[in-house]
Amino acid sequence: MSLLAVSNLTKRYRRGGKAVAAADDVSFHIDPGETLALAGPSGSGKSTIARLVLRLIEPDAGRIAFEGEDFMALGGAALRARRARLQMVFQDPLAAFNPRATVARVLDDPLRIHRIASRSERPRQIAALLERVGLTADLAPRAIHEISGGQRQRVAIARAIATKPSLIVLDEAVSALDVSVRGQILDLLLDLQRQERIAYLFISHDLGIVRAIAHRVILLDAGRIAEAGDARAVIDAPRSVIGKALVAAAPRLDRSRS
Amino acid sequence: MTALASIRGLTVGYRRDGNEVAALKDVRLDVEAGERLAIIGESGSGKSTLALAIAGLLPASAKITGRIDWTMPKSQTSRSFAPPSVLPDISPTRGEIGGFAAGSAPATLAAGESGHDSTISPQVGEMSGRTEGGAVERQLRHLRGGVPLLGRDIGFVFQDPSSSLDPVMPVGKQIAEVARAHLGLSWPQAFNKARILLERVRLPDPGLALRAFPHQLSGGQKQRVAIAAAIAAGPKLLIADEATSALDTIVQAEIVTLIRQLVAEDGMTLLFISHDIALAAELADRIAVFRHGSLVELGPTAQIVGAPAHPYTRALLDAHIGLDAEPLLTRSGLRA
Repeated sequence: MSLLAVSNLTKRYRRGGKAVAAADDVSFHIDPGETLALAGPSGSGKSTIARLVLRLIEPDAGRIAFEGEDFMALGGAALRARRARLQMVFQDPLAAFNPRATVARVLDDPLRIHRIASRSERPRQIAALLERVGLTADLAPRAIHEISGGQRQRVAIARAIATKPSLIVLDEAVSALDVSVRGQILDLLLDLQRQERIAYLFISHDLGIVRAIAHRVILLDAGRIAEAGDARAVIDAPRSVIGKALVAAAPRLDRSRS
Repeated sequence: MTALASIRGLTVGYRRDGNEVAALKDVRLDVEAGERLAIIGESGSGKSTLALAIAGLLPASAKITGRIDWTMPKSQTSRSFAPPSVLPDISPTRGEIGGFAAGSAPATLAAGESGHDSTISPQVGEMSGRTEGGAVERQLRHLRGGVPLLGRDIGFVFQDPSSSLDPVMPVGKQIAEVARAHLGLSWPQAFNKARILLERVRLPDPGLALRAFPHQLSGGQKQRVAIAAAIAAGPKLLIADEATSALDTIVQAEIVTLIRQLVAEDGMTLLFISHDIALAAELADRIAVFRHGSLVELGPTAQIVGAPAHPYTRALLDAHIGLDAEPLLTRSGLRA
């Protein structure tokens, strides 16, 4: 059974009096431990679909099943409890967190809210989470705004895995990082996937990264699925108009010339 | 080749939390006339500080030492300026540059040096409303004595067109204002020029776009408008500071193509600031790699990409994940 099954998801916005479909009859599934990438140009619906899956916004039509349950039917306490299994990491952790909160506070919240650890156990858990994402426990008392962008994104990942999720939505999670840091964060994500069998819904506009990290890819255009399949197969030989355009536009580094 | 700008011993420091932080350290670099030069680096490399220093846009609080010598043919344009228009604090005003000799010995800037007190106001077409007028003015006084004028001699395109364009002014007027201030055109002439510029940056329906407000345009269209404003006065030097970084891949490729074309048509020198070495390599004749405020390597693009001398340049190239990169999944054994 799929971990996540999305069927006929549709979401329309009104823009200048016209209805614009940000997601138009979108269906896909993700298996446990799998990375599915959503790629496409700005406005293709990538982030809307991520938000629909997280139920941060409600669809006009469609169904979402998560871990065998009708995710759309959940509300209140049941939905909050389920959210522990479905986490998210965004592009800019500085915008996602209270910048004046400490690292410890950011990690304490999910442990407390989801009753994962008692008050006395939490400091040890926080230290373990920091070490799990390649940071040291002495970072705990630092403020979020004081640490580097790469460290912040590691804290965001530590927070996401604190509740032992089966799926993490990564919305442009490595796009704003320096290239030297980006590689380390991608390695960390792969390591977590291998160890904990976490599935990722990986939103990105960068086909090079998608091809490197995803098992499968869905290419979106104006809210519709233009093309889907094995990430390498699709990106190496795109058939859709948008797929061809995205591949053609990717900068190429020809290191053989000199 | 002649150097358009000859940068020597340029050191820029900012005060942060009471400490002096060196953003640029003893930079020596020649920007050759007519070349497309890419400045590459990660965050904190000093690449944007360098762009701002060249444009004379550093905040007044920045501590600057060193010099930038310019060799710039005198502008052929009329410099009879109109008084400030609707928004006095942001509109281009009178601009006079002392000691700006045509084709003669390079005019010299030495930061902190005193000279005669000409009033130079910011001529920042695409920065309307966002500049701290006082800061820029003080900065330009620093650079007085034969320095190119931002907006007329230097066009600057920023990363985020939403914050560099005035949200409450039609884009046509924002472009026309630059042309009017620097080329001495009347408003009707300036609007006509703006329409031609919007055509040149390939905005669909330029006549309609003239009257559009920034929020009515897409990110890519806004960046096209910002480019039109930047080149409106026919600058010798175009500086694009991460100008395509906020755009998606397809729009980025279009804007890069547009910049390449405009630079070739107008014979401009291009300074392309980017964190993306692959993108820079597609556009630049030469690449300068910066790290922690220092220039670590400079050379022709093919040499930097194909035979980098510095380990950091190699590391940047290795970190690029292109469409031909070995998938990380294979490496970590996650692919069945």
